[in-house]
Amino acid sequence: MSVVLFTILSSFIASAVEFVEALTVVLAVGVTRQWRSTLLGAGAAVLVLVALVAVLGLTIATLVPIELLRLVVGAVLIVFGLQWLTKAILRAAGARASRDEVATFGRQLAALAKEPPVPASGTDWISFTVAFKGVLLEGLEVAFIVVTFGAAGGQLAPALVGAGLAGIGVLGVGAAVRQPLARLPENQLKFGVGLMLVSFGTFWAGEGIGVAWPASDLSILLLLAGYLATSLLAVRTVAVGLVKRAAPTPMQARQEAN
Amino acid sequence: MRYVTAFGRFWYDFLIGDRPELFVGPTVALVLVALLIQAGWAALSGLLLFGLVVASGGVGLARDLAAAHARSDQ
Repeated sequence: MSVVLFTILSSFIASAVEFVEALTVVLAVGVTRQWRSTLLGAGAAVLVLVALVAVLGLTIATLVPIELLRLVVGAVLIVFGLQWLTKAILRAAGARASRDEVATFGRQLAALAKEPPVPASGTDWISFTVAFKGVLLEGLEVAFIVVTFGAAGGQLAPALVGAGLAGIGVLGVGAAVRQPLARLPENQLKFGVGLMLVSFGTFWAGEGIGVAWPASDLSILLLLAGYLATSLLAVRTVAVGLVKRAAPTPMQARQEAN
Repeated sequence: MRYVTAFGRFWYDFLIGDRPELFVGPTVALVLVALLIQAGWAALSGLLLFGLVVASGGVGLARDLAAAHARSDQ
């Protein structure tokens, strides 16, 4: 039960972050060009992603032996999770700028303003293509997470539920406010997703190579607690290091005083 | 052939990109722990795997920080 809830939560948070980024692209194209073609492009990308998840999720789970699958998927989740987690740690410590959805929205608007005008009738292929690419690229990460959870943990349905709920939630809020969701605590969400991916990855990859986890599935929670503690320590260490680096050396302080 | 190359490049960028240490570290960790388990040292293998993954993340952080400092010093 805990694994099912954990899977839904992980998939929900990871998907929400990616859907917010996709929404920024869709809103920028829809506002500046043509909503119909934009929504067609976004819809086509969603169809491609659903087909990808269905084919890959079912094929991989039935063709590859479970031990090998858990090793490969676990290893990939560790790598992918560490990428998210280390960036989130640097942002939380102030060593890296946070992603700004409003600024991204502005850049998209500026880029679209340079494109040829919207045709008087028919489909605007620029709107279609930009929306399709934006949703497909952001959605690939969602598809990747859903497929890996589905294949390695036998949790395809909970992973799809999490992603679906995130999609409905983000699209619903986006349709209501019609502007980028800049107030979402994106870095905290990425921090959480990174922790979950690394924890699941370590657990599954460990099972794949024969690690006997002491508390069975509950070991995932122990791993999560361990990674959370070390990550918070890393945030503090990096932040303290930045403060020390910004502070003047004793010689600089004496020169400034003189 | 073009599509195979593009497919390979996509996965390279997706998993390795400009942060190879985050790919190499966990891979080495898994090989090392697997070898220890094969040799009969299974007791603390989970803890060792956790520690090695943390160490990989630490190396990644250190490299990112060094790159950020180098950029700000220029």
